Amino acid sequence: MLKINKIKFDVNTDSGLFGSNYEFSSGLNIIRADNTSGKSSLFQAISYCLGFEEIIGGRNEKTMQSVFRDQVEYPKDSFHKVIQSFVYLEIENSKNDIVTIKRSVLSNSDRKPQLVDVYFGKLINNTDDVLPEYKPMYIHDKGGATDEMYGFHLFLENFLDWNLPNVLTNSGDSRKLYIQQIASSFMIEQKSGWSDFFATMPHFGLANKEARAIEFILKLDVTENKKRKQQIVFNKKIIEDKWATLNNQFIRLAEKGGGKIVGIEQKPTIINDYRGLNIFLTKDEEEYSISNYIDLQIEELRLTEKKTIFSVGQNISTDEAQLEKLNNFINQLSLNYELLSNELNFDKDRLRSYKSQLSLLKIDLGKNKGALKVKNLGAEFDLKTSNEVCPTCNQDIKDSLLPLEVEQIPMRLEDNIDFIDAQIKMIVVYIEGQEKTINEKEKKIDLYRAKLSESRSNVRQLKKELISDERLPSIIEIENRLNLKKRIEFYKKFLEDFNQLIEDLKDLSEQWKKIVISETKLPKNFFSKSDDDKLKFLENQFKILLKEFNYTSQQNEFIHISRENYLPVISKPFGEETKDYSIRFDSSGSDFIRCIWAYTFSLLDTSIKFDGNHPKLIMMDEPKQQDAAIENFHTFLKRISFHVKSQILIFASFENSDEAFKTATKDVEFNLVYIEDKLIKPIE
Amino acid sequence: MRDFEIKDVKFSKKPISIPVDYRPMYKIAQIVMILSITCIGNKSSLLKLHLLSWALKDDKNKDEVLELIKKNYDTDIAVWGIEPALNRALLFCISENICTLENGKYLLTKKGEDFFKIILKAEVFKEEFEFLNFIGKKKITDNRIESISKKWSLFNVKN
Repeated sequence: MLKINKIKFDVNTDSGLFGSNYEFSSGLNIIRADNTSGKSSLFQAISYCLGFEEIIGGRNEKTMQSVFRDQVEYPKDSFHKVIQSFVYLEIENSKNDIVTIKRSVLSNSDRKPQLVDVYFGKLINNTDDVLPEYKPMYIHDKGGATDEMYGFHLFLENFLDWNLPNVLTNSGDSRKLYIQQIASSFMIEQKSGWSDFFATMPHFGLANKEARAIEFILKLDVTENKKRKQQIVFNKKIIEDKWATLNNQFIRLAEKGGGKIVGIEQKPTIINDYRGLNIFLTKDEEEYSISNYIDLQIEELRLTEKKTIFSVGQNISTDEAQLEKLNNFINQLSLNYELLSNELNFDKDRLRSYKSQLSLLKIDLGKNKGALKVKNLGAEFDLKTSNEVCPTCNQDIKDSLLPLEVEQIPMRLEDNIDFIDAQIKMIVVYIEGQEKTINEKEKKIDLYRAKLSESRSNVRQLKKELISDERLPSIIEIENRLNLKKRIEFYKKFLEDFNQLIEDLKDLSEQWKKIVISETKLPKNFFSKSDDDKLKFLENQFKILLKEFNYTSQQNEFIHISRENYLPVISKPFGEETKDYSIRFDSSGSDFIRCIWAYTFSLLDTSIKFDGNHPKLIMMDEPKQQDAAIENFHTFLKRISFHVKSQILIFASFENSDEAFKTATKDVEFNLVYIEDKLIKPIE
Repeated sequence: MRDFEIKDVKFSKKPISIPVDYRPMYKIAQIVMILSITCIGNKSSLLKLHLLSWALKDDKNKDEVLELIKKNYDTDIAVWGIEPALNRALLFCISENICTLENGKYLLTKKGEDFFKIILKAEVFKEEFEFLNFIGKKKITDNRIESISKKWSLFNVKN
């Protein structure tokens, strides 16, 4: 809640102190003043103290009238030069905290108008000896203020217990909704405030700003839901990335163990059964899962351990046979290795040449495109050559500088560009293919190399054994056992790593499930059930008030609250569909004023009913516009006087007549604030 | 087999792809760029135009010219190409009144200057601009080129 308690003006002139002060109460306040007596100055001063002067159009002291800046006229035709002026405003929130804001309009020291002093207590008509403490704060920009100073609007936001949402600007950054933008929904200024809904809302690069303000005032979930949707999209992206990384880890692990991975999903999914995911290891051209493979090795180790270890002498014949077999194998393999590495070099060479061709083609394409552009521009520039005509003899030159004897027809430049484009595409495909083959061949060559070195070391072992003492136990046998043990160790660790990755995957899949669930919970059009209730209530209330205020331009059933920007629209059938029209253009002038009355107060009603963020303050300068009948104005005042728990400030001149004032306020409960004579007058 | 017998063969001429260097507008634009960016008073000898046009053909040629400048014209530059296409393009330029021939030198006209502005606005030929802007108006002058060509004929031309 924002309640205006008191306002005070101090205007020092060269002929003494001028000013005045006024008090406002809860419920309906009627500020009555004849035209030119300073009614609008009072309205402007309130918005100025709150730093909302942007709704009047402009910033800082420029928005204040000359009576605070240049000269005071009092009485008529007698002028006094202003040398200093201050405005004080006392406001109160729902916790009954009171602060007084002091802002200068004209200062004879270096005090900038961006500076306000906030006193934590009452200041106006305060007779205590000690004034309350105060803190300087800045409005709009840090311009004349120092960095340690506090932003006044941040203070005001906290004072009102508001939590302004972040909104997306046109340039795509996220920033807070400005408090001045909310202000135009409850402060309606005389000059342009009545031309449209929220007519005076400053733009600040925000698309659909009215909608954002209303979403905040009515505390609609739609903002939150949209934000949550963004969050979900963002989180999904993160999980997708993690998923891809994890997939790579699986692939790398499989490569490390010389196996191949099966059953991984490319994109995040909810996995219920992890048994499909495994790494297959090959032994004797059969594939085994990791645990089966380990079992196999253990079994083999058991079998070898059962056998007694032969001595070298006993083993000679088997060793020799083994050696011959190995040598053959190595010969074969070296040959393959040689062939493949030649092929690989050849392939790499070709890849290099493709790449250099590609870069040449790209340069060529750039030149051709440039030539085409210049050619087209040249035609505008009236160059004959651009039109493929010889500038000397006007003969066809076929867009080429080839000598005439060459009887070849060149392609048109456009076709030539397409031709080069096609070539580039082809080369790109070649390069991709080539890179793939190279990759495969490199893998194969690595495999050959590993096998070769393993076989060679086996050969060395055999040879060593053959020349060693015949009585010694066979090293090969022992080595074989050790190797088996080592391998079993390795694959046990390998299985552990694999299981760890599976755990990570389970975790990720679980996160994915949660996100998918929360995504399905979001309402399709982002409106929650309570949003629908609020908007329906707003629509109903708006229609009821329109009827009370005697709105006649459109039939009731065509009037709706738009779900796009929450403003009233006329929805009429157009063929099979319905089409929305602006209520402003489809209503008469005085009826549109009734629309603003009704809409401003139905926002308040809706916010009160659903405990929204409305400050429960409405200020209207001269709501009786456009020759609205005085009877209707009376109905309006009567209706809004029921809002005893909110504060309503109506600034009106009543056509400068007592008669009109009496008719309009008949049987209406209100607090009268009468500006007699002039707003700024001498203080004795 | 008789079914597949070929009765007659026809050839038809298809348009061929030609290097961009043979496109009149490309070459004209090149001349305008060279004269505007690298020539004092927008005026140049035929030899200089040939040198820079040749340099713009590919990166290898550019490097050679850059090397020449870096070494302060001390290296023996392999002879640069003189292409008839450039001469033809120059004839077009004169006929289009983009440049005029003055005392054996090519001078950019007002129309040529306007055409250069159009090329600038079109934001094309990034690499050409980069190279020519590096060369600028002071690094290669007609006198230098003449002395190189003289030196070359001294060593390489008999009689």
